Amino acid sequence: MRDGPTARVADHDEALPPPGWGRSGSTATPGARALWIFAAIAMLLVVGRLWVAPAIAAESLDAWATIFVAICVQALPFLVFGVTLSAAITAFVPPSFFNRVLPRRPAAAVPAAAVAGAVLPGCECASVPVAGGLMARGVAPAAALTFLLAAPAINPVVLVATAVAFPRDPEMVLGRFLASIVVAVLAGWLWLRFGKGEWLRIPRPATDGIGRWERFRQAMRHDIMHAGGFLVVGGLAAATINVIVPANWVSGVAGIPWLSVLTLAVLAVLMSICSEADAFVAASLTQFSPTAKLAFLVVGPMVDLKLIALQAGIFGPRFAVRFVPLTFVLAVAVSALVGWMLW
Amino acid sequence: MDALVTKAAQNLLLILVGAAALWITVATDEYLNYVKPGFRPLLVAAAVALIALGAAGVRRDWTDGTGHDAARTDADHAGTDDGHDHGHGPRVAWLLCLPALAIFLIAPPALGSFTASRDGARSAAPPPPPAEGFGALKQAPSGAPTEMTLGEYIGRSFEAQIGDPARLRGAPVKLTGFATPRAKGGWHLTRLRMSCCAGDAIPLRVVVHGAKSPPTGSWVQVVGTWRPPSSGAVATGVHELSAMSVHPIKKPRNAYEG
Repeated sequence: MRDGPTARVADHDEALPPPGWGRSGSTATPGARALWIFAAIAMLLVVGRLWVAPAIAAESLDAWATIFVAICVQALPFLVFGVTLSAAITAFVPPSFFNRVLPRRPAAAVPAAAVAGAVLPGCECASVPVAGGLMARGVAPAAALTFLLAAPAINPVVLVATAVAFPRDPEMVLGRFLASIVVAVLAGWLWLRFGKGEWLRIPRPATDGIGRWERFRQAMRHDIMHAGGFLVVGGLAAATINVIVPANWVSGVAGIPWLSVLTLAVLAVLMSICSEADAFVAASLTQFSPTAKLAFLVVGPMVDLKLIALQAGIFGPRFAVRFVPLTFVLAVAVSALVGWMLW
Repeated sequence: MDALVTKAAQNLLLILVGAAALWITVATDEYLNYVKPGFRPLLVAAAVALIALGAAGVRRDWTDGTGHDAARTDADHAGTDDGHDHGHGPRVAWLLCLPALAIFLIAPPALGSFTASRDGARSAAPPPPPAEGFGALKQAPSGAPTEMTLGEYIGRSFEAQIGDPARLRGAPVKLTGFATPRAKGGWHLTRLRMSCCAGDAIPLRVVVHGAKSPPTGSWVQVVGTWRPPSSGAVATGVHELSAMSVHPIKKPRNAYEG
């Protein structure tokens, strides 16, 4: 099959970005390969750890499997919900609808999209495919990305959960809302200003010539295959971290303010807890300052292992390697600032 | 032909994942090992949606003949699928097998003493008591012990440590959990509390005095009375119980505390 350089050149030619805004089929191989390596490492860590350290009984493998399955099972309904909504947007909502409800200028559409995030009652697994559906329907990518960041953090379900988890600190709810919306809007504007369309693979073009239901079905299956596979990668990594990282690493750094903020931000990425549950976990991290807990709550819904995998799956690895660090830095900086103002 | 196989495989994957979700919710109670009881309707709905989607795909392929649907799908997706896929569905989708296989082949059990023992640093938090306090302890007239969760006991003990110890002192209570070892004095009656899924489970622990420790990980019901901290009226973060009796029990249907 691969008979020399000619074949490879042909491959590349096929993969050249087609004309069109933000659509790029350019080769995703290195990034995708990285994701495969990522998955392989997660597996290797577990297998190696169990193999190398016979002191660890089969109990740890059981715990790992339980946590892995639990993360997948917990995310499944939200993923299916998000994928259904996304496919419905693609198949049934005409593009003109979004032109009417969102401001025409992308710079103004970004904050509007952030506020719209408040109405999607779900966690981050749902918001990634929905944002993809919005882009496929012609919503400016920057606005759809703002929606992606805002929706899992500021919707009513999550805010109520936060209020329940912090009965004596109503500021935590306010701080979470403010910091998340600011990060989402800033990230949207930065993407608008500096983002390049070719970095972003918009999930799927509108497919004309087939019935709406057929389009719905194909869109849904396509999204589940992409997002679901990557969700499993994220689940593998998160379960591995959960079983391997000793809990007392965490408590050692709680006393140092800047380090504690950074630690909880990184922990939020590694633990990959659903945004509807993360407030309860944050509340249990009593050794940490409120600002550090706020960073945990702001970073978690925007950047975590399973989200990185999902975003790479839906929008392409070239997007994820740029967008993920941008969001992380913004989220940490803004939570530190909001925390400093509130406490 | 590869693309056709992949498309059929995609439908089968959807059905497999949906079937796994139905297996743990409808056919068995295994979902309780992974998520909270309230999750069941959501999981069933998601499972039904997945199976319907897979079945619709299978039916479509069946009735359509295979030709033009497949060709059109390929054309639609040629620009959007990963460049390395050469027209196949995304290879990463095969990973969807893993959770389904794990459910059917391994059937991972509820987390237990392993997780509780390695998660030391995260157990210190007293769970937040209800804003209005716990109220008076409801005593059965016969003097039978009051059954409560470890979470409630820890909350009441915390209240008694910083407030009025008379409300808990001397009242017999019945607690359920599994045994884990403790380094200094007594043993721990432990249960894991999850807020959403097993990935965020945190151990709740009560120190039991006055009874021999059951084997680590075995489920027991302990009847006893609150034991005030020896250091006086301060919140110690350690909650203790003087046991009157310890009965081995079967593992409860839901191993976690909600």
